[in-house]
Amino acid sequence: MNTVSVNENPFGRKLVLACLLPILLVNIVAFMVPVLNLAAMSFRAASSTGSLEEGITVSTWLGLFGDGYYWSMVGRTVWFGILITIITLLLSYPLALFVSRREGSLKAFLVVVCISPLLISAVVRTYGWMVILGDQGVLPSLIRASGFTPPRLINNETGVIIGMVEILMPYMILSLLSGFGKLDATLEQAAGTLGARPFTVFRRVVLPLSLPGILLGCLLCFVLAVSSFITPKMLAGGRVSLLATEIYDQAIVTLNWPLAACLSVLILVVFGAALVLYGRLSKIVE
Amino acid sequence: MAKHSRRQVLVLGAAGAAGLAMPWVSRAHAQERRITVAAYSGIFEDIYKKTVIEPFMKANPSIRVNYVGFPTSAQNLGTLRAQKAAPQLDVCILDMVVAKAGANENLYKAVTPDVLPVMKQLVPTALIEGMPGPAVTFDNVAMIYSPKKFASAPTSWKELWNKAHAGRITLDAPPNAVGMGFTFVANKLAGGTDYRDYSKGIKLLGEMAPLVQSWEPKPDCYASVTSGNADLSVGYNARIQTFSRQTPDRIAASIPDEGSVFQINTINLVNNAPQQDAALEFMAYALSAQTQATFTEALPYAPTNRDAPLSPEALARTAVTPERMSKMINIDWLEVAKFRDAITEQWRRNVLTRS
Amino acid sequence: MYLKVDSLEKRYGAFDPSVSNLSFSLAQGELLGLLGPSGCGKTTTLRMISGMVAATSGRILVGGHDVTGLPTYRRNMGVMFQSYALFPHMTVAENVAFGLEMRKHSKHEIAKRVESALAMVRLNGVGDRKPRQLSGGQQQRVALARALVFEPDILLLDEPLSNLDAKLRDDMRNEIREIQQRLRMTTIFVTHDQTEAMAICDRIVVMNKGRLEQIGTPHEIYETPATPMVADFVGRINRLKGTWRSDGAIDINGSMTIRASRPGARGAPVLVMVRPHRIGLVASGSAIPSAEHENVLAGTIRQVTYIGDTLQYSVEAAGARILVEKATTSAGDPFQSGAEVLLHWSEQDTLTFAADGER
Ligand SMILES: Nc1ncnc2c1ncn2[C@@H]1O[C@H](COP(=O)(O)OP(=O)(O)OP(=O)(O)O)[C@@H](O)[C@H]1O
Ligand SMILES: [Mg+2]
Repeated sequence: MNTVSVNENPFGRKLVLACLLPILLVNIVAFMVPVLNLAAMSFRAASSTGSLEEGITVSTWLGLFGDGYYWSMVGRTVWFGILITIITLLLSYPLALFVSRREGSLKAFLVVVCISPLLISAVVRTYGWMVILGDQGVLPSLIRASGFTPPRLINNETGVIIGMVEILMPYMILSLLSGFGKLDATLEQAAGTLGARPFTVFRRVVLPLSLPGILLGCLLCFVLAVSSFITPKMLAGGRVSLLATEIYDQAIVTLNWPLAACLSVLILVVFGAALVLYGRLSKIVE
Repeated sequence: MAKHSRRQVLVLGAAGAAGLAMPWVSRAHAQERRITVAAYSGIFEDIYKKTVIEPFMKANPSIRVNYVGFPTSAQNLGTLRAQKAAPQLDVCILDMVVAKAGANENLYKAVTPDVLPVMKQLVPTALIEGMPGPAVTFDNVAMIYSPKKFASAPTSWKELWNKAHAGRITLDAPPNAVGMGFTFVANKLAGGTDYRDYSKGIKLLGEMAPLVQSWEPKPDCYASVTSGNADLSVGYNARIQTFSRQTPDRIAASIPDEGSVFQINTINLVNNAPQQDAALEFMAYALSAQTQATFTEALPYAPTNRDAPLSPEALARTAVTPERMSKMINIDWLEVAKFRDAITEQWRRNVLTRS
Repeated sequence: MYLKVDSLEKRYGAFDPSVSNLSFSLAQGELLGLLGPSGCGKTTTLRMISGMVAATSGRILVGGHDVTGLPTYRRNMGVMFQSYALFPHMTVAENVAFGLEMRKHSKHEIAKRVESALAMVRLNGVGDRKPRQLSGGQQQRVALARALVFEPDILLLDEPLSNLDAKLRDDMRNEIREIQQRLRMTTIFVTHDQTEAMAICDRIVVMNKGRLEQIGTPHEIYETPATPMVADFVGRINRLKGTWRSDGAIDINGSMTIRASRPGARGAPVLVMVRPHRIGLVASGSAIPSAEHENVLAGTIRQVTYIGDTLQYSVEAAGARILVEKATTSAGDPFQSGAEVLLHWSEQDTLTFAADGER
């Protein structure tokens, strides 16, 4: 409908273009240029000491593709991204549903409560987790006090997952809430009158109608999970190496910028794949 | 109207620029030169400012020094690399291995005793072949321990393999430089004689791996012991000593009998630095015997100036006492730089996987 | 009685009750109309009966069993929502099939019944579309098909025809009545439209402000409304305010005398109501047939409005405006504006209510 009216009115079309131009320029400058720079950097040569050398080479790329280590890292990164996203979804969904069913100021308050962690930096929240999960931390102490031997909750994969899930939950909850627009209590009641039990109502009505929100939240959390490095670095104790942390190490510690650039391009490819998948799935859902 | 005013602004701007460039326009400005020194942040920054920068500015009122601190040498180099076309830094103090990478990219200008006569007073090991600037501090890898958990200071690196400390050990794994240096310590412990063949060291580290709590303690290895999260760790001597002075009951340093490896910071003049002469004046001051001694008294980095008048206590806190010197593992870090990635790789495959 | 609503009350928060002290009952297979102005609590009543909202107090009985606490899905009531409440992610056919699926009918059976239900609401061939690809009236019919298709014991229809054109509305109305009678479904039919209610309902409940105003057959509701509100709601009506005289007649402003079939207490204020089409109209000076029990008034026609099947005359008589309706004929208007006329109506057609609202 909208596009038709824009096409019919030449003035409208020009206006739309004029309005789009600034954001287009900003995008080109702020997004495309750095990405192209990154791509160019991945073809620079680096010496063993980390110094950049003149000329272009594909050796970094060849080395990357030839090394199974990086392939398994990509695999692990994607797997962690998926795992973290799924756990985040499972924990956020009931909360988001609960909040979306409240009304008025209570709802506004609950939304603020859910997203208030975003007001605190991820670093601080991750330190919080170090205090809670650390060997002398609150949780292991509690477990010990109740007579069990606590499992290692930090400096390993478990720690990364716990921390990331908590960091990402506000984003997931926000996406879910924004995607719950089609949910309507009347529809659930209608299903009830037709004889559907509560779980069937959930499966046949609530879940399908919240799929757009779920997809959006999953895309967002996956991308954030794959690209975040601060929390994994702080909670992994060096035991989990993911693409983003490796990029950090290569760029900041080893100073191998070409390799860091290659890995960044690789991460962009992963994001691209996630976006394509998202596009496909949302078409199916709608 | 708009055009007119823009032209006026341009004219004004040009006049302003000329004012900065032409000494006779403003005498006060003409006399003041500003240089920027890039080095470490944190405790190094605090003490370096107090013992070197501020006295220098007092001695040279016409020069203002701006200090920029970086958490790692790599970030120090990365910043300069990004400014290659128009550097904003004049002097960079950073780890020699990282400095070498910058030297290969022509980011630093080589200095000679002709332009920096104080270099003649430095110990021979401070003048490194192929490096653009001389060494300014020596440090060494040392053991961090929690005094509460040890009746007396542990004197052997073997303590890190003691199962009693399972889960209470932290260690920064390579590519971190401490982990890199500790590889050679482990290699020596395992009977290795040449640091270039470090396979024995890797094997021994693999045996230690199950005891390690974190391979990347946060915020750092020193805090992991100070906070009580760990009992043993490995770090740089000067920093451990300093933290130990602040909280003696929580953290202490030990330079074990088996010896250790040096860490060397060099001081480098930036190529095309905005204020070359002032920068050289600062470098001369930083390397002078008195400055080196003052800094070492405050922060136990060993001096590189052989004439530095050190107190015996200050000397004892460093690794350059005669008996310690004899046990140090001799390492050419520039040689190490060539197989740095391979060491990291070995760690990943054979050490980290075992914990 | 099959469905019994007993002293039902619903309060939303601290507001005045949306429904209060509501009691009525339906025999099996009866079609009850629920009539009342907007916001009077019709939908709320249906929602309580179907279990979608809990009653604040009161009971609902089906076949003698108290179902007040029973969840919706166990009540086996077909509900058609005022807002349709079609599932947007399902096709029309899937929407209609939903209730059958929940009752575990075979695929074949479901397909058959969905098809005939869609045919009943004149929607063959749109089964594969999504609800948003249908017009409002089409969606409404899908909702109707969905509520009917599984042949529930009790059918609750909330304004099922509000969005249809007059022709389709009549068709659907008769269709609903036919199915309802054939399957003997006990049905409540909510509407604002009194004609619709009169046309198909066995009995009608008129509600106002959450309370039951009157319950009765369409004839009772129309001919002997219990309150002025009911009289007003079920058709156009003239209102006059007066006082009872000692002779059983009513005095209006001292300028008009009206007789009613049942006299009231002397001196009491009274509200007189007369339906416009029950008033006869003759030219001034003509003879009035059976004048004995007739009220007769002289007046002047002030306005004539032609609305197709009726002519509306606004007549000024004894200082009041009285509306009179006559069926049109091909002969054209017998009276013009300004004509002097006589109005007459029988005592039986004179509805009187105590001025505070009671009869
Ligand atoms: N969820 C609610 N919260 C508060 N008040 C409500 C709620 N639902 C309905 N009401 C109030 O209850 C009263 C009755 O509403 P109801 O929907 O039953 O009216 P209705 O008779 O169906 O009207 P209509 O003919 O316009 O559909 C109204 O005053 C309405 O404002
Ligand atoms: Mg309603």
